[in-house]
Amino acid sequence: MRIVVPMKAVPDLVEEIELTSDGSGIDREYLKFVLNEWDDQALEEALLVKEAGDAEVIAVGLDSDPDIEQALYAALAKGADKAVKLTGAGEAPDTHARAEMLAGWLGDQGADLVITGVQSPDDLDGQLPPALGARMGLPHVSVVTSIEAGADAGTVRVRQEFSGGRSTELSVTLPAVVGLQAARQSPRYAPISRIRQMMQAGGIEEAPLSPASGTSGLRVRRMYAPESTGHAEMLTGSPDEVAAKIVELLSARGLVKG
Amino acid sequence: MNAFTVLTDSTSVTRPIFQDIHLIGRTIFYVLAAAATVTFLYGWWRRVAKYRRGRSAGRGATVRSALFANPFSGVHARRDTSSVGVIAANATVSRRHLATGVAHFMVFWGFIALFIGTVILTIDYDILRLSTKLLLGHEISFFYGTFYLTYSVILDTMGLAAVLGLAYLGVRRALIKPPQLNYARAEDPPGGYSRAKMVAGDWLFVWGLGLILLTGFFVEVFRIRAENFPPFEVWSPVGWLGARLVQALGLPASTSLGVHTFFWWVHALLALAFVAYIPFSKALHILADGVNLLAHDKSGTRSLPAPAPVEHIGYQKIEDFTWKELLDFDSCTKCGRCHAVCPARAAGAPLSPRDLILDLRQWVDTQSSGVTLLDREQRPEATGPLSPNGDTKIAGSVISTRTLWSCTTCMACVEACPVGIEHVSTIVQLRRGLVDSGDMDPTLQKALQNLAQQGNSFGKSARMRARWTKGLDFTIKDARKEQVKYLWFVGDYASFDDRLQENSRALARLLHTAGVDFGILYEDERNAGNDVRRVGEEGLFELLADHNVNALQAAHFEEIFTTDPHSLNTLRNEYPERGASYKVWHYTELLAHLVETGAIPVEPLNWRVTYHDPCYLARYNSVIEAPRRILRALGCELVEMPRNGANTFCCGAGGGRIWMDDSYLTERPSENRIREAAELDVNYFVVSCPKDVTMYSDAAKTTGHDGALMVQDITQLVAAAVRVPELVGAAVVASGAADAAAPAAPSPTPTAAPSPGASAPSSGGESPARDVAPPTIADEPSDPTAVSPERSASTDTEPAKGPARPTDGPP
Ligand code: SF4
Ligand code: SF4
Repeated sequence: MRIVVPMKAVPDLVEEIELTSDGSGIDREYLKFVLNEWDDQALEEALLVKEAGDAEVIAVGLDSDPDIEQALYAALAKGADKAVKLTGAGEAPDTHARAEMLAGWLGDQGADLVITGVQSPDDLDGQLPPALGARMGLPHVSVVTSIEAGADAGTVRVRQEFSGGRSTELSVTLPAVVGLQAARQSPRYAPISRIRQMMQAGGIEEAPLSPASGTSGLRVRRMYAPESTGHAEMLTGSPDEVAAKIVELLSARGLVKG
Repeated sequence: MNAFTVLTDSTSVTRPIFQDIHLIGRTIFYVLAAAATVTFLYGWWRRVAKYRRGRSAGRGATVRSALFANPFSGVHARRDTSSVGVIAANATVSRRHLATGVAHFMVFWGFIALFIGTVILTIDYDILRLSTKLLLGHEISFFYGTFYLTYSVILDTMGLAAVLGLAYLGVRRALIKPPQLNYARAEDPPGGYSRAKMVAGDWLFVWGLGLILLTGFFVEVFRIRAENFPPFEVWSPVGWLGARLVQALGLPASTSLGVHTFFWWVHALLALAFVAYIPFSKALHILADGVNLLAHDKSGTRSLPAPAPVEHIGYQKIEDFTWKELLDFDSCTKCGRCHAVCPARAAGAPLSPRDLILDLRQWVDTQSSGVTLLDREQRPEATGPLSPNGDTKIAGSVISTRTLWSCTTCMACVEACPVGIEHVSTIVQLRRGLVDSGDMDPTLQKALQNLAQQGNSFGKSARMRARWTKGLDFTIKDARKEQVKYLWFVGDYASFDDRLQENSRALARLLHTAGVDFGILYEDERNAGNDVRRVGEEGLFELLADHNVNALQAAHFEEIFTTDPHSLNTLRNEYPERGASYKVWHYTELLAHLVETGAIPVEPLNWRVTYHDPCYLARYNSVIEAPRRILRALGCELVEMPRNGANTFCCGAGGGRIWMDDSYLTERPSENRIREAAELDVNYFVVSCPKDVTMYSDAAKTTGHDGALMVQDITQLVAAAVRVPELVGAAVVASGAADAAAPAAPSPTPTAAPSPGASAPSSGGESPARDVAPPTIADEPSDPTAVSPERSASTDTEPAKGPARPTDGPP
């Protein structure tokens, strides 16, 4: 089985993020970029699938993301078979452009499974996996928490999570696109010496992209730094009293029918 | 005297060799002696062949210098390396265990003397007499007269010493039963185990030696009795008295000869059997431990060895160990000293350094079809170290993952071990394999990832590193941009931990006020990597260290001081080989100098305090006196904890433990330590390591001692003792307005009256601050309890001799 894991580097949220002077984006100049944590989960799950059976894992990133090489080397150090940096992605493509470019490249890769993070800090509604599926004309499942070999050949069994602690198990016919929420175990550690080995070996392949055809039709006019306005009210009392107060508050705001 | 002269001239003043052992007997004896020697050599050859499978340990120079360069180094004071003198004096055996050491010394030298005696006899009888008989036709011997009498009296005395020493050691084992001689494992393996054979091996050793000594004396006793007390034999006093005794008991001379023959054979057979047995048993330590001590070097723990081997990370097979490590395993005498001092073991972790060494020994033994007879652990199933499978992972199954992760790298085991075993470097080598396979606590993994991303374990932005300086009303110099005398390597905890930042600011104010010319690296500082290296993440250590080395090389300073003893250790001992070789002080060394010279004028505090020595300061780097000098200068009454100085007890944070889960421990080492301090009836628990402030504040709370025992960094004590509170107080709270009201408050250009000694704070501008004489790196104080209240009282007044108070202002 051939598994491709598209990865994305996102600003390290530990840093103070500043907006550009015109307010239409974040100032990327001094920012440090790290691997999107959901993509890290996707890679882990792909490696688990590989370890459970016979699979090849290919990590792929776009050259538009600063520091993406770091993530690709780390993927190799963790056990990915191949890492590919796609070039010509332009500057800071949005999710739809990203999906289009990835789908274009993936078209002739013969991937059985595309696993990517279900979301990222700049794609909180998780559009990348469905957009990829749609563009490639493949089945898609998002918010997945495990991928295992299916009962029939050419399928995988995935667990999809819903809110409220519920989940369901689906059988998916391959090839397919999966948006991964969390891997079955926390992402493994990539020892620095192994990453350095990979860097010395220069193991990242490069492949050119055909540029995105158009725009997604979205234009960012202005960004705002979140304002911290809130104040917290501490509820005290016995659990029953606290519960009663919560219900009261919620119904006062019309969120539950009292 | 006359009789003596006459006697000693006579060739009859000697004893017969093989007195009543005739040709067949003699032949049997020689055949057996040859067999014993061959067996001994075979066993020793097998052992040596095993050590030769190990990698090079780079200790050739250590052995050579221990042998030749300084044969008495370390006999009196604690040193990194050992020497012939240390071995001869059994100095490592008696350190902190005087009675045992003396007893061991008596057995040690007793047997050496007896062995030399035997060799002399062989030279005389089997070589000299035999060859002269064959070549000259008549025997030449020197074994008579004065020589014989001297020989007799020495050997008798030494034999007696050995008997007494051995008797004490036997009694200690059988009746006194010190806890460290209990061989119970720190953790029972599933399926159970038995160390009964080890105990049997010990007793066989003790009784074997004892019987050899006793039968030796019996031979002498019955010979003297059989010969009816030749007068010169009083020079064998023990034999003489014994002979008198058997005479008094009514044994006639005629029977004595038969008894003599009997004991002669028993003695001979026991001695030969023992010689053959040495390489196969605990007795091997007679041979192995001297060599191990000669090759021992504590600096190999301060500055860890590089990982090996190259083709795979972490140890997997015998060839991956160095010969020193393989010799370490065989050298262990199971004395249990390391077991007794280990904080992990005391905390209920599965780690005991003794078990670790014994398990590795047994694993190597199993893998190399070793030759140990009794000294083994038994298990119903051949698991862990007993597993015959060569592919058993060492880190993870021979030594369990949790066992390896429990080590705080406090070095107490290395310090305590009388035979020069180096546990810590081996533990780190094994951890490197665990890190490579990602076998670690999630919290540790997170910390390492943070360190890789941001250069600090807190996961905060590297650019926030110097944010703690914001609360100061002066700007700390940027050593990247301007020349300073001292570069302050602040460290992660002192920079990022909210609870410690105030401490860092207090130190900055003290130094600033005292006119010390110092700067920091601002956001170019990274975690120094000491603990990262001890976790076993060598690649990350290199990354951090190389970053720091570059930053240091680009900065402008003369010397370094650190807040954190862990950073100090790696900067002082591990950075030089990476290209950054500087003098590295601990801030207590600096403060000690400043309070003693009066550069920081202090008034006596009269507090009753105890002081906790950080492992990485006291044990690793011998900085023991400096904090005590500060306490004396502050007029504090220092009440020492029983475990102090180089013998300190770990807080449990080192070696990366601070990033790991400790919920499986029954009692945290820090809690154990607080309880130790609580016995002393002191009010302050003084520390000199940022991590200690957090560790012990927590422990004081969880043990319920936080009311009575205040955990304080020594900086805070100095700040509290500063003679003019406004001086530092102003620095604490002063804003521009306060300056106007109090013109004498410190400002970039202090108005101190010049004073003899020129110790007043200088501007710290262009001119380098006063030459802070290099604080001396103290050796272990000969008597750490010698810090008496009188002494501190007498030093109270000393700072008054210092410079005029800078805030006195113009008269
Ligand atoms: S270094 Fe300390 S914690 Fe580790 S084994 Fe030795 S005594 Fe125990
Ligand atoms: S390792 Fe050293 S201190 Fe520990 S039991 Fe063995 S000989 Fe004693």
